[in-house]
Amino acid sequence: MNIRNLISAAILTLSSLLAAAQSDRPGDIAKSIILGLEYEINAGINIGGASPLPLPAEIREINSYSPHLNLSIGTTVTKWFDENGGNWGVASGFRFETKGMETDATVKNYGMTIIQDGKEMSGKWTGRVRTKYHTQQLTIPITAVYRINNRWKVNFGPYLAYAFSNEFDGHVYDGYLREGDPTGNKVSFEGDARATYDFGDELRKFQWGVQAGGTWRVFNRLSVNANLTWGLNDIFNKSFKTVTFHMYPIYLNAGFSYVF
Amino acid sequence: MKAINWLMTFAMVLAVTSCIKKEPLNAECDIVAVALPGDLLNRTPIIENDRVTLIVKNHVNITDLAPEFELTPGATIAPPSGTKRDFTEPQTYVVTSEDGEWTKAYTISVQRNNAINLKYGFEDVKVTKSAQGGGYDVFFDVNINETTHQRDTMFWASGNSGFAMTNGKGAPDTYPTFQTDGGHIGKCACLITRTTGVWGAMVNKPIAAGNLFIGKFDLNNAIAKPLEATKFGTPFFNVPRYFSGYFKYTPGEIYQQFNPDAPGKLEAIPGKKDECNIYAVYFESTADMEYLNGANVLSDDNPNIIAVARISEEMRKGASDWTYFHVPFVFREGATIDADKFEDGRYSIAVVMTSSIDGDYFSGAIGSILFVDELEIICL
Repeated sequence: MNIRNLISAAILTLSSLLAAAQSDRPGDIAKSIILGLEYEINAGINIGGASPLPLPAEIREINSYSPHLNLSIGTTVTKWFDENGGNWGVASGFRFETKGMETDATVKNYGMTIIQDGKEMSGKWTGRVRTKYHTQQLTIPITAVYRINNRWKVNFGPYLAYAFSNEFDGHVYDGYLREGDPTGNKVSFEGDARATYDFGDELRKFQWGVQAGGTWRVFNRLSVNANLTWGLNDIFNKSFKTVTFHMYPIYLNAGFSYVF
Repeated sequence: MKAINWLMTFAMVLAVTSCIKKEPLNAECDIVAVALPGDLLNRTPIIENDRVTLIVKNHVNITDLAPEFELTPGATIAPPSGTKRDFTEPQTYVVTSEDGEWTKAYTISVQRNNAINLKYGFEDVKVTKSAQGGGYDVFFDVNINETTHQRDTMFWASGNSGFAMTNGKGAPDTYPTFQTDGGHIGKCACLITRTTGVWGAMVNKPIAAGNLFIGKFDLNNAIAKPLEATKFGTPFFNVPRYFSGYFKYTPGEIYQQFNPDAPGKLEAIPGKKDECNIYAVYFESTADMEYLNGANVLSDDNPNIIAVARISEEMRKGASDWTYFHVPFVFREGATIDADKFEDGRYSIAVVMTSSIDGDYFSGAIGSILFVDELEIICL
């Protein structure tokens, strides 16, 4: 699944919804609204990163950070509990989204163990680490919604995500490795010398977390919204020991919605 | 939109960097530099991870030397810098890291006069443990000086410590250089060109040729500046005439050349055959070239080289059974030996052998195997 597939899937979803909405029969949508359901389609961008929390002391400096252009597109269905204008509801739906980032950090005495082909290499790295993270996910949020007034509503709740494409790679450079522990043999990486890594296969397929955010209705049918999504499990599989601390995806999704 | 993007980025960087924790105290406990007060040293001190060699001038009284140390910032050493000690036997120093969590013991030995033998049978090895619990052979020779009766241990250098990082729990005979039975007499040295696997390819060092030499292997340079990692030579107080010994060699099946763009970083060169190399170089150590290295050890235009003794091209291609070689040191045109420099110990000798002649450029045939035994430097 690449960006193109994602977009076509989204367009398909969108057009079927629009088709349903434009149907002149007293169709399901009309019925749904009567039943207290509200439909939205959303598009937005994700900005954030996968980060250990709190930052371990081994990370000394973030030299550069690029959020990448991460798009998201999806739908939200909200069920208002009280058809007569009550303030509480529950919302769900799905969104196809990409999350990514590129960072360059300076670490000191950062422990790592890499197992490949049954052979293990472990040591302490002091120097620069460049990391690229990119994932494409299908996310299903299930949130409680509260309507503050006509224009404002806020939501909070868990989400589940399945990643159908995962990348996590980079290289270490401009520093040195101590083999084993800080007393071990020292090997310098200078100039063009680097060690590349690719842990994409070690990333977790299923993730979950919580999201919280707000929606502001600009016009009758157009809203802008911002949601913070906070991953609650490590982006890596449990069996993966190379990155010694847990990394959590934390992203702000900002975008707009069309309300049917 | 762009402005928002920038703002978000800024906010994110701020958010992340603002929670950077206080810098932990240093965990390392290295001797970074060693000095001996007075003009006592004959070479720059050789500092390895847990060993320091001080090569001093011949007249120096080594029974009360007071070396001074530069350490990892914050680290401490016992006994402290400037303590007088008797270096007739190697002395131990313990360095403790700034955070107090780590200690490392260094053996410091002082070498002067002729400290090496002229015959090498490869009968003695010491197994050095690797970080992951395996180990590799380090050949050594003990020399007892005829006049001073000082006992010196010369450790042969090899790239094994670099290979150790890729070799996990491997036993000595899984390394490129190790001791084996079936020598011409007793045991011998065995050198095999091996693949360094995923790890080696990751750092553009896809093969490791077996190598063994007099000098130091500077692991710190092994990845960034590999040609400088092999530091050839040790002070020599003789004038060499011939270099002899026994060897057998079988080149590996497929010669592969290092190519950073090829899969596994190696490209097969059909028709090309691997060669071994065995040679000795007599040279002058100058301030700017105390040791020879992979880039200049056989260079025709290296002004420091006085004489080279090397096995013939025919021999380098292979020898199925133990084969005797006896080659002269060929003196370079115009090379002279200065009596004062000779007395001062300015001249050095390097003995070098490898299972793949282009091994220093990470090219060769995996499986090329060289056995070496009973080497001798024949002097006047």
